[in-house]
Amino acid sequence: MTNLNIKALENKCKWLRSECFEMLLSVKQGHPGSILSQIEILVCLYYGGVIKYFKNEPFHPEKDKIIISKGHAAMSLYPIFSDIGYFKKEELENFGKSDSLLKLFGNISIPGIDCTSGSLGHGLGVGCGFAYSAKKRNAKNKTFVILSEGEMYEGSVWESALFASHHSLDNLIVILDRNRNIILGDTEECLALEPIKDKWMSFGFHVDNVDGHSIMDLLDSFDSINKVSNKPKILIADTTKGKGISFMENKPNWHYWNPLSDELIKKARSELTINE
Amino acid sequence: MSSFQRDVFINKIYEHAERNKNIFFISADFGAPALDKFRTNLPDQFIHSGISEQHMIDMAAGLALDGNKVYVYAMAPFISIRCLEQIKCSLAIMNLPVTVLAVGVGLGYADAGPTHYLNEDISIMNSIVNLDISSPSDEISTNYIAQTTIDVPKLRYIRMERNNLHNVYSSDHIFNKDGYEKIHSGENICILSSGYMLHKAIDAQKLLSQEKIDVSIYDVISIKPLSDKLIKEIGKYETIVTIEEQTLNGGFGSIIVNALAKNGVSPKKIKCLGLADKYYFQNGGREFLLNENGLSAESIYKTIKTI
Repeated sequence: MTNLNIKALENKCKWLRSECFEMLLSVKQGHPGSILSQIEILVCLYYGGVIKYFKNEPFHPEKDKIIISKGHAAMSLYPIFSDIGYFKKEELENFGKSDSLLKLFGNISIPGIDCTSGSLGHGLGVGCGFAYSAKKRNAKNKTFVILSEGEMYEGSVWESALFASHHSLDNLIVILDRNRNIILGDTEECLALEPIKDKWMSFGFHVDNVDGHSIMDLLDSFDSINKVSNKPKILIADTTKGKGISFMENKPNWHYWNPLSDELIKKARSELTINE
Repeated sequence: MSSFQRDVFINKIYEHAERNKNIFFISADFGAPALDKFRTNLPDQFIHSGISEQHMIDMAAGLALDGNKVYVYAMAPFISIRCLEQIKCSLAIMNLPVTVLAVGVGLGYADAGPTHYLNEDISIMNSIVNLDISSPSDEISTNYIAQTTIDVPKLRYIRMERNNLHNVYSSDHIFNKDGYEKIHSGENICILSSGYMLHKAIDAQKLLSQEKIDVSIYDVISIKPLSDKLIKEIGKYETIVTIEEQTLNGGFGSIIVNALAKNGVSPKKIKCLGLADKYYFQNGGREFLLNENGLSAESIYKTIKTI
């Protein structure tokens, strides 16, 4: 990928962050920390040629599946879905209103959302169902599941990991958003998750570590795991919670929305402005 | 003696699965002779989930979202309460056509104690939105419910008896679409029950008839949705008796009482018979515990006689 293309994707990240910020600001609620940490991952999936989709056709049978298992961050897909023609752009402006198609958490009534999510620890199991079904149909669909590291505390995730490995679900690609922070602080201080890589490897996954905010790193990693067969795959993406808005970065209290002064709104908008 | 409900159900699904490759049967390490045939002959449609009920339900959601008819199967307490949040979030919220097969409801596993018997499932499952609850009482009604899951796919919880039961229905019985059957006609008093306890009600009715007390018996196969027609029909009786192998907190009796109130039906007397709000560790088995709770046929007969 050329430098120019990388720059274009980086600008797409600023655009997506800006869209998400304005949606959150409009309803003064939601989960900016977790949304902002996965932006590069989503941009690479949808604009870096990783996930297969068909413009204007959210229900195309050959499209890959996406599950944002941490459902509180699923709304970061809405600007992308609007952009690729899954629904009209006006829906974004309508976000959060009582008659809006788009909700704070994603659900399957929204074109493009393949699985309703919200409660942690379900997405990998549902993803196993998608991936297993595709294999049985000899279909080429892949299933991408974005997990938060906080979901690693849920036992059901490990039940599903066992299954994915036993059945060699190499059409199942997990991206772990490792932003280190859960609601009450650093995971390693709350209840240690490390060594994360060893845990997934011992469960039979192909594991790759990646800088979750580097377009180049992410694309290289997606490319390399694409060549691995007979194993489910996981990218452990090191990220920063609240990435892109300086006063939200690595601040546990920005897991959820907080009141903002006009000055901070201006600052956030300034940091998310695309400078050509 | 008829066949085990689990074998009847699985054999019916097998018949269809042979022709429909989109039918999947998942077990969390729970067996049956009919399942052995299924997994031997249709290995691509059988999935062992591991002893992982939570994963089993989540995975069933993924399979169903991809256009498959899915059956999940395990011992009753573990496929209901153990994975209740998965049933709510992954199945009920998305309203997916998955059939949850729970074997050994009530005191079916009384000998193993309260970790294995299930005295709360009607109350708990009744509160889950989009989930229907069926409770077959013999081989024939089990077969009918199995066929219904094929004909009208939706989210269902099927309460299956652990042991084999005498047939209540003839093999050519035509079930009505309202989800209940009148088993016996009497006057003044009606008994409502289902599953294993329906048989206790029938035995009690026989004892009562010897003393010229003739009671009606209804088999409430569909606990949810509960037929309004049934509620209006039982309004003509002076006394309504419900019998269940559940605690009474929110159980079958509560459902009937709520439905009577909703429909403005006020019988003179209502008697809800069920288990005490208690976990039992005594040996003695199912019949012993039922007797302790006034739920043997003899006890039911005596209770009704004094009404």
